[in-house]
Amino acid sequence: MFFKKYYDKRDGAIRGYDMHSRSSRVLSVLIMLMCVVMVMIALFPIVWVFLAAFKDIKDFNTNVSLLPSHFDFAGVAKTWGQLKFSKFYVNSIILVVGSVFCAILFNGLLAYGLAVLKPKGYKVIQALVMWSLLIPSTASIVALFRNINMLGMSRSFLPLWLAYGANAFWVVLFKEFFEELPTELLEAARLDGCGTLQVFLKMVLPLSKPIIMVVAIFAVTTSWSDFLLPYLVLNGSGKETVMVKLFSFKDTPTNAVAMLRAVMFSIIPPTILFVLFQKQITDGAAAGAVKG
Amino acid sequence: MKKKTKFKRRDLMSWLVMLPSVILFAFYVWEPLLENVRLSLYSTIRYQTIDFVGLANYSRVLKVPDFMAAFKNTFSYTFWSLLIGFFVPMIMAVLISETVHLKSFFRVGVYFPNIVPGLATIWIWNYFFTPGPTGVLNILLGKIGIAPQVWLNDSRWTIPLIVITMTWKAAGSTALIYMASISGISADLYEAATIDGATIWQRIKNITLPSITGLARTLLILQVISVFQILYEPMVLKNGGPNNASISLMMLVYRFAFRDSDFSGAAAMSVMICIILILLSGLYMKLTRKKEEY
Amino acid sequence: MKRRVAGLLGATLAASMMLGVAAQAADITVNLGIWPEDTLTDEITMHEGFLEKMKELRPDVEYVPAYYKYSTDTFMPMVEASTVPTVFESWFTEPQKLIKQGAVADITDQLEERGWLDAMNPAIRELLSDENGRIYGTPRDGYALGLMVNVDLFKQAGLVDENGVPKFPQTWDELAEDAKAIKEATGAAGLCLLAKDNAGGWHFSNIAWAFGATLVTENEDGTFTANLASDEAIAAMEYVKSLKWEYDVLTADPTSEDWGTGFTQIATDNAAMYIAANDAVNQPTAGNGMALENLAMCAIPAGPGGQYSLSGGTPYMFSKDATPEEIDAALDYLEVMGKCPVVSDETVSGLEADAQMRKDAGIPVIQKFPCWINEDFLAAEEKSIEENANVDPALYQPYFDAVSADGLRTEEPGQTQDMYAELTKVLQAVLTDESADVASLMQTANENYQTILDNAAPAAE
Repeated sequence: MFFKKYYDKRDGAIRGYDMHSRSSRVLSVLIMLMCVVMVMIALFPIVWVFLAAFKDIKDFNTNVSLLPSHFDFAGVAKTWGQLKFSKFYVNSIILVVGSVFCAILFNGLLAYGLAVLKPKGYKVIQALVMWSLLIPSTASIVALFRNINMLGMSRSFLPLWLAYGANAFWVVLFKEFFEELPTELLEAARLDGCGTLQVFLKMVLPLSKPIIMVVAIFAVTTSWSDFLLPYLVLNGSGKETVMVKLFSFKDTPTNAVAMLRAVMFSIIPPTILFVLFQKQITDGAAAGAVKG
Repeated sequence: MKKKTKFKRRDLMSWLVMLPSVILFAFYVWEPLLENVRLSLYSTIRYQTIDFVGLANYSRVLKVPDFMAAFKNTFSYTFWSLLIGFFVPMIMAVLISETVHLKSFFRVGVYFPNIVPGLATIWIWNYFFTPGPTGVLNILLGKIGIAPQVWLNDSRWTIPLIVITMTWKAAGSTALIYMASISGISADLYEAATIDGATIWQRIKNITLPSITGLARTLLILQVISVFQILYEPMVLKNGGPNNASISLMMLVYRFAFRDSDFSGAAAMSVMICIILILLSGLYMKLTRKKEEY
Repeated sequence: MKRRVAGLLGATLAASMMLGVAAQAADITVNLGIWPEDTLTDEITMHEGFLEKMKELRPDVEYVPAYYKYSTDTFMPMVEASTVPTVFESWFTEPQKLIKQGAVADITDQLEERGWLDAMNPAIRELLSDENGRIYGTPRDGYALGLMVNVDLFKQAGLVDENGVPKFPQTWDELAEDAKAIKEATGAAGLCLLAKDNAGGWHFSNIAWAFGATLVTENEDGTFTANLASDEAIAAMEYVKSLKWEYDVLTADPTSEDWGTGFTQIATDNAAMYIAANDAVNQPTAGNGMALENLAMCAIPAGPGGQYSLSGGTPYMFSKDATPEEIDAALDYLEVMGKCPVVSDETVSGLEADAQMRKDAGIPVIQKFPCWINEDFLAAEEKSIEENANVDPALYQPYFDAVSADGLRTEEPGQTQDMYAELTKVLQAVLTDESADVASLMQTANENYQTILDNAAPAAE
């Protein structure tokens, strides 16, 4: 039974006909055990957070145990209130929504230009975008932060939202998708008298749901996790996001359990998202292979 | 004649559609790069440029006491991340590709750490690496009778352990990319090899691995670029310590800019990082290209 | 874009005012960086009370809680992004640096108008002034480092007298022995030593003084000479090293202990002693749940070089972006808190509220080190403390005896925070590596710090 399924195997080196040999069978089982171990290593730290966050401070600091001696639910609720996490959640959601919108609109438009419209001279931009994949982004943060301040855009979500409109990787994803779209359809739409922008909004976007989904998922997880630029722009403005709060723990005294609970709060939304959309997310991640 | 003007208008319209995005790219990606170069050549007070000073900022930042440590460490991060971070996802991808049961569970499971925000993972690992009996890893070791370790406090292990935390987070997503590539390999290849009497290991070595090397090459250079800019992991975990054992070049940039408000020094350091990366990428491309010629 | 719109609105507003159209005064907003941190619930309640009072006194002002804990790593980005709260607390090591960087507001006129200037301790006034005598801050209070003690752990180790008062260590050698006894009796660390960030160097400088070291000297031409590699300083570092490798009395990982975790360690019975100041007694108690009677304080132990207590303080400083009206409104808030030299109904009730809150929250109500010199204010503060006294004086007597003697010593001059950073690196090395060569590490730290001092010299001109 166990080995029979290998006859349906369509990828990888091991095939159904290997199952005749005893050593191959052992190997298959071993490989599976190793995969189980890998998944355990991957999941254990996350599971631990959800358990340890329910310890109280003394239990956490002095008891040599993985599990809490009792589940301090009231303590967790209290930490939520004390750290004012509702506010940070709201701010994070504002950041995420705007970022996803910008990520789809601006990267999509640029890719549409590069893949479909191809105006004179588009190759220059295309080359620049491809090079952007290699540009060390963190090293630019100093100049970028300075520019944002010089334009008076600090203390606002705007520069953070717009930052998601300039992601070379997502442009490439969109571009490769648009190149597969039936051009006759787009041409027909244009002949109908639709303007360039209207063709994009009325024809291209509705046809592009799968890729929009992929980019949206990427944008949600990265913008939820993003902290460096948000920290520099928003810290102290009253618009701090969950991650800005988590980053500022680096320099503010907080007891270990409150910190751990904050970490738990910060991973709940992405976890829920992941559980709901695991297929789309893992498929989307694999789509990264396209660029290889 | 008429056709020509029509074309031009269409080009113009197309450029207008692309313009906002191009401006964003210019503002967020291209201009800061040039701006760094400009800033690095001026003296600054906070972020106002004052005088053109040539390369003075460069010689100044090179003389900072922590520079050598940061420089060496940054290469050390790169080395370890190639040693650990580069091969682990490949191995994971090959292993998961060779399963049939629970395959999608494995895929989802190993990818999970990737959706946990980076900052959260660092805080989590911070508790794992706590020395003394209450650290999570030490609790686990204690169960099998091993004495508590000091983990990150042993300066020989600080960087490799930080690289392990980064690998824990990132390996799953890279593995999925490799898996997509592996599943694209034609079944005929394997069958032909089997008929020739190739063992499973030979098939992996001669078919699976060669078919992902192109992808691996791209991922390698992207990985070097990202690891070279390592910043928040050592900053949050050990603030560059113990005794500079984990300080990185980007941490110096951050300190220049955001602790000392020395934007010209920060810019000079950023430009140096970029130059090193350009040199590394160039060298790498030259090496791999030569290999292909043979 | 938002800015531009705001600018446009501003211009229209200005134009309409010039035309004589009555315009309502713009609301004043004050961001209170001095708001208590999230976990100090009782202090927050007290400040909420102050806010209520401000609604009556200054209905034109909106006060917004914006807790900010000053740190050298976080402050400058906030300056650049204009997110510094209107008023915030800093350290006495910082004003000169912040003034030079143009990061804080000149508040001379506002202070003068209120008559606070003459009441300010002259030494502190100088600390808060630039070379033209303009003033950029007002002091909250001073502090002197001492040793916080977990009474319970001392009791368990039998280190108490017949009244249950801990037998406080008088010298660093005694401290090591006591710490060892405590560790053996209870399993808890004897001492929580910091080595994560600059606070490590900060505490170490006090230890070094006791061993007879002077860590930096100011030359006649205004430059500084680092002196981190003296025999005395090395001896002090050797002593710290022995606490880890010989006595083994420190917490599990000093390199992850910072100012905040130290209080957690002592409050959760994980460490018996911790170097801390009188102005932080709220941290172990209200912040980390330690019982009031479990906390005691004594003087920093003496060494071969004598006994010193590092003293510093907390200034209130103001964002460079704050308008005179905002600064004025912020000063009104300080007045209601009782953090000013004026004796009025407001300030007295502010002082009273503070002492009352401490009493209710189980925070020791003990003497402060005011930076004002006017008698009436000092008397009022004294009175509020006496009336709410809630601790056994014996538990704090050795501390106050020491700080009223000659042992008070202000922090080393120069680029003090950078010196702390260099010392912290050495601490990390000697506490994580048993074979670390203290002398050569201190030599390197000395060279590094001298380089930093030399590089900073032109800017100081």
